[in-house]
Amino acid sequence: MNWVQLLVLGLLLGSVYAMMASGLTLLFGVMRVVNLAHAAFILIASYITYLLFENLTLDPIVSLVITMPLMFGLGVIIYLVLFPRIEGSARYVEMTVLLTFGLALVVEGLLTFVFTGTFRSVRPAYVSTSIHVGDIFIPSNQLYASAVSFALLIGLWVLLRFTKTGTAIRATMQNRGAAQIVGVNVRRISAFAFGTGMALAGAAGSLLSFLFPFFPGKHWQWIALLLSLIVLGGMGSIKGAVIGALLLAIASAVVTDTFGPTWSPITFYLTLFLILLVRPQGLFGAKLRL
Amino acid sequence: MTHETEKLDTTDIPVVDQVDADVVPQRPDRAEGVISRRVALGLVVALILLFPVIAIPVFSSYAYVMQIGMLTLMWISMSSSWNIIGGFAGYISLGHGVFYAIGGYSAGLALAHWGISPFLFLPVAGLAAMAVGLLAGLITLRTRGPAFIVATIAMLFLFLLWFDNWEFIGASSGLDLPLVDIPVRWLKVPFYYAMALSAIGAVYLSYRIAHSKFGLGLRAISEDETKAEVAGINTRWYKVIAFSLSAYFIGTAGAVYGYSLTHLRPLTFFAIAVAARMVLMSIIGGRGTVAGPVVGAILIVGVNEFSVRQFGQTELNIVVTGAILVAALLFFPQGIVGSLRKSGRLPAFLDWD
Repeated sequence: MNWVQLLVLGLLLGSVYAMMASGLTLLFGVMRVVNLAHAAFILIASYITYLLFENLTLDPIVSLVITMPLMFGLGVIIYLVLFPRIEGSARYVEMTVLLTFGLALVVEGLLTFVFTGTFRSVRPAYVSTSIHVGDIFIPSNQLYASAVSFALLIGLWVLLRFTKTGTAIRATMQNRGAAQIVGVNVRRISAFAFGTGMALAGAAGSLLSFLFPFFPGKHWQWIALLLSLIVLGGMGSIKGAVIGALLLAIASAVVTDTFGPTWSPITFYLTLFLILLVRPQGLFGAKLRL
Repeated sequence: MTHETEKLDTTDIPVVDQVDADVVPQRPDRAEGVISRRVALGLVVALILLFPVIAIPVFSSYAYVMQIGMLTLMWISMSSSWNIIGGFAGYISLGHGVFYAIGGYSAGLALAHWGISPFLFLPVAGLAAMAVGLLAGLITLRTRGPAFIVATIAMLFLFLLWFDNWEFIGASSGLDLPLVDIPVRWLKVPFYYAMALSAIGAVYLSYRIAHSKFGLGLRAISEDETKAEVAGINTRWYKVIAFSLSAYFIGTAGAVYGYSLTHLRPLTFFAIAVAARMVLMSIIGGRGTVAGPVVGAILIVGVNEFSVRQFGQTELNIVVTGAILVAALLFFPQGIVGSLRKSGRLPAFLDWD
């Protein structure tokens, strides 16, 4: 395949990855929560989208309107029930990892129980069409998914940059204590940010449902990929997550083309290891001191 | 072994207490505690070794009881080992399934290709796991806290992908091993004893580390790594060695377990549920204590057997594992042994630190 084609495919998937990773890194930036259950929640949204498509033939892109608020609500509830209890504990970040690890197991088990372990996929008409520009082909489903992801990323940027809530979120990311002093209701902002991260997970679930086949255990692959992206970009940095996602998606497109699709996940894990060797803090992150 | 422990008790414990004086409440009747602890430990070891004999007249389903016994010992071996890096040093690894696999596959390959019995190969399987642990530790331990956890997950998936595609070891379809040539009724007994060896070794290693200067250094790292470094502890090597040591008895457990299955598949060893159990057992028993992972392993194997009997072999077992983990972290973060010690009600026979 020629390199322009690989670049296009990489960028298309990369923007979807970027949107998925931005939710995860937002949670880490605002609340120091490493959400190992993020991909499990993405899968919940995928299954909801699947149900909506199978029963009501609702287009998976339209179902974002349902999955996003639903996951937002779920996020706020989960945050308020679980996290205030461990706030202020000695090893808070590690606690969040273990806690969300437990959550991921619960979600995986419940999904397997309800939907069994078989592969599912949502197949609207556009999964089998593509657009040709010269000798470059663009699969329609990837084009739509990446356009929606791009729009959501812009939306997130506008939210963080130009709204009062966004300013409060950024202030909390920079310095939680100081934000509290100047009058930010840190707990409410955290709950809102958790909801926002989960809403992005909801959107990601709806989009992934027509990009890749899925089964309940698949979230481990997704979370490993997402974590590689945000470690590469520097944990807590949204800009880093986006750039990391685009770079790795292109790299993985090249690896898939050269060695076959089996080896494409290896790009992510190996990159993660290499990054850790030379620059443990990631591309844009401050070194983690916890 | 008794002589060793006696020597350790009188020399090393006071040192630990001086440092931890404000954390660990003073225990009354130290001398009495030491004696009853040693008697208790001796009894436990004797019980483990004699159990296959005692069980013959007591249980009708002998093979099942031996299987459960072997599994309990396996998880004691694994969670006690995990606790060396995850509890003492405070570095939570979700990638220890890798060492389980290295142990299982190295012993399996030695049998399949050279005809060496895994029971004899056991020490080498442990060393293989330890060597991989050393290399992996050198890379992953460059990070701390959450980034370390992420790195260990990536390590797990990297190895899984490799094993799944490596034809020499049977790739994802697996590797078949010959059966052990003994009557079916006694089939489980050698596995039980091999696993007992692994478990006793793991707990002994954990005990020795807890009562050494090395263990003290690990605890210092878990409290405050920067201060530990300033105090002159070579934190990098302490961590790498702890990581590598923690791999040994997970490797031997993998070797015995793999042989008992007679068929090795990557997912048996690399499943995230395996890693999850090690973590869960240590946390629920009491992270960073010697007795905690043992108590946790016995408890969780029991709960798991119960839930398999209740719900059958379904995914609800993962839900139970996850839910217990969440509940333990929220309501019980110090675990059974840790909470009992804090309230001063830890019985002397469980006080191995």
